[in-house]
Amino acid sequence: MKNNNLKTYAKYFTQFIIAVAGLLLIIDFTIHRHAYFHLEEIIGFPAMFGFICFVFIVIVGKHLRKILMRKEDYYDK
Amino acid sequence: MISSMIPGLWMIIASILLPVIPSYFRQPAMLLSVFLSSLSLLNGFGTFLTWEILGFDLTLYHSDNLTLPFAIIFHIASLLVIIYGWHNKNLMENMATLAYAGSAIGALHAGDFFSLFIWWEATALTSVFIVLAGNTISARNSAMRYLIIQVCSGVLLLIGASMMVYQTGNHELTKLDLSSNFGVFIFLAFGIKAAFPFLNGWLQDSYPESSPTGTVALSAFTTKLAIYALARTFPGTETLIWIGAIMTAFPVFFAVIENDLRRVLSFSLNNQLGFMVVGIGIGTELSLNGTVAHAFVHIIYKALLFMSMGAVLHRVGTTKASELGGLYKYMPLTTIFCIIGAMSISAFPLFSGFVAKSLIMSALGGQGLILIYFVLFFASAGVLEHSGIKIPYFAFFAHERKTKVKEAPLNMLIAMGVAAFLCIGIGVYPKYLYSILPYSVDYQPYTIDHVISQLQLLVFAILAFLFLVKFKLYPSEIKSTVLNSDWIYRKMLPGIGKPLFQNLQKIIIKFYDLLSILFDLILGRSKKFANSSYIKVTTPGFAGLLMITILFIMLVIAVI
Repeated sequence: MKNNNLKTYAKYFTQFIIAVAGLLLIIDFTIHRHAYFHLEEIIGFPAMFGFICFVFIVIVGKHLRKILMRKEDYYDK
Repeated sequence: MISSMIPGLWMIIASILLPVIPSYFRQPAMLLSVFLSSLSLLNGFGTFLTWEILGFDLTLYHSDNLTLPFAIIFHIASLLVIIYGWHNKNLMENMATLAYAGSAIGALHAGDFFSLFIWWEATALTSVFIVLAGNTISARNSAMRYLIIQVCSGVLLLIGASMMVYQTGNHELTKLDLSSNFGVFIFLAFGIKAAFPFLNGWLQDSYPESSPTGTVALSAFTTKLAIYALARTFPGTETLIWIGAIMTAFPVFFAVIENDLRRVLSFSLNNQLGFMVVGIGIGTELSLNGTVAHAFVHIIYKALLFMSMGAVLHRVGTTKASELGGLYKYMPLTTIFCIIGAMSISAFPLFSGFVAKSLIMSALGGQGLILIYFVLFFASAGVLEHSGIKIPYFAFFAHERKTKVKEAPLNMLIAMGVAAFLCIGIGVYPKYLYSILPYSVDYQPYTIDHVISQLQLLVFAILAFLFLVKFKLYPSEIKSTVLNSDWIYRKMLPGIGKPLFQNLQKIIIKFYDLLSILFDLILGRSKKFANSSYIKVTTPGFAGLLMITILFIMLVIAVI
């Protein structure tokens, strides 16, 4: 049990986030959000946008390593 | 009398007196000097001190609706830095920190370009000692690069100001544009300190090299002073919208792969400056309010994040993500404070970032700038990635930790606690912040549209993170150096310059060789000539004949 603390927390946290995410989508169906651009008013648009952007950033970052990453002592040489 | 002094000057005086104050009273004396300096803020708006020198009117103490919010937050930041560094007995660092903060506050109250230049250089020269106090070889090298770049900025400012006086006869700190050549110089000077794209290398290079306390001080003043200067002289310059948008987006990718968490925060700082620069570029009352509000709250939560990482560095000895993790068990308070800072910078509703960022986003929406709007929306997801999740996750969670670590010292906890309190306080009661902004605001950040939209963005981005971790798609941390724009002058230019100069040197040596051969040749010939019969001791008659002959030949040539 003692060593599994972090895993248990992670499980609870994931459940919590999924619940909140679901709730936010339900709210989005019940109200009409006003935004500056019609695109943003589409139901679930910010959610989709956030999810896709996050994945995009991480994936692009991962590939950027090929170009930008050097050994830790790169500048000392 | 006390309050008629230029704000910040008390701090500089205290900094000079610091060596003769017994070490136990140094921190209290520093606090006292900040308090004395802050009394000037009660003076209201107006010009309080001018000085005529060499035919110039220098406005040394001018205060208006733009200086006030910056002056308030600079004083708050100074207090936080002093409390956070209460345990710090490094005299040089204490002196530099106090003088640096004082110079930055003084710079806010300069009413003309020449006074601004003096303070501008003062912040550069004092802050370089803070980087030096990092006390490693790499900190020393970094400090030298930092100094060169900062002084470059100062020189550009001086050139711009001198050209401005020559061309217009005016040196007041007024609105400029990029159509004049001096405007471009001043714009670049500010741009270096505001860490524009490609001029940003110094920031990520030097800030993470400083001591735990030093970085907190550095993060607050230099860049925000540049934001203040841009807001004063270039509001509504359209170029700034584009520059700002790029600034919000590109550091995001660097922050994902950077291993040193304090460097991640430096990239994040760069991205936050982008939001402020966009606000200046739009130039409406709403957007300028947004910039000032964002600078205000940003100083607090960025300091909080740097403080939490400083506490980790203080206790563990490193901020490299690859060597951290699991600290939540041993540093629970630091963990909570760090998460509060992370939620503020990610702009969760009820945290300070939300009430400030909303102003800028609304200004963009109101202007119909759809592309920039979505770039900033994208950058908001990026902020969540690197500052909201990566920092707390890799430092305090990620995996269980085997070796024990102590919680941060009490003074650090107090400073972090105060900053965390301000983050939530401003988020819940934004009206106090709004009341000190340059223009009167009638703005409501907590509408159902705003809150739901922002929460959707953030919660689903967190979901994306959990998804990526679950399927092992999230990149693990690797010990590495990530190339940034400082690569240009650390590797590329030396890479080109060194062979170039070496070859040039070779050519010069060859040239000298050639010269000496030629010289030997001439010398040899003349020696031979000296021994020949023409030069030998002759009779006067022969010499006379020779001279007449030569003269005759010359005469003939001249006639022809």
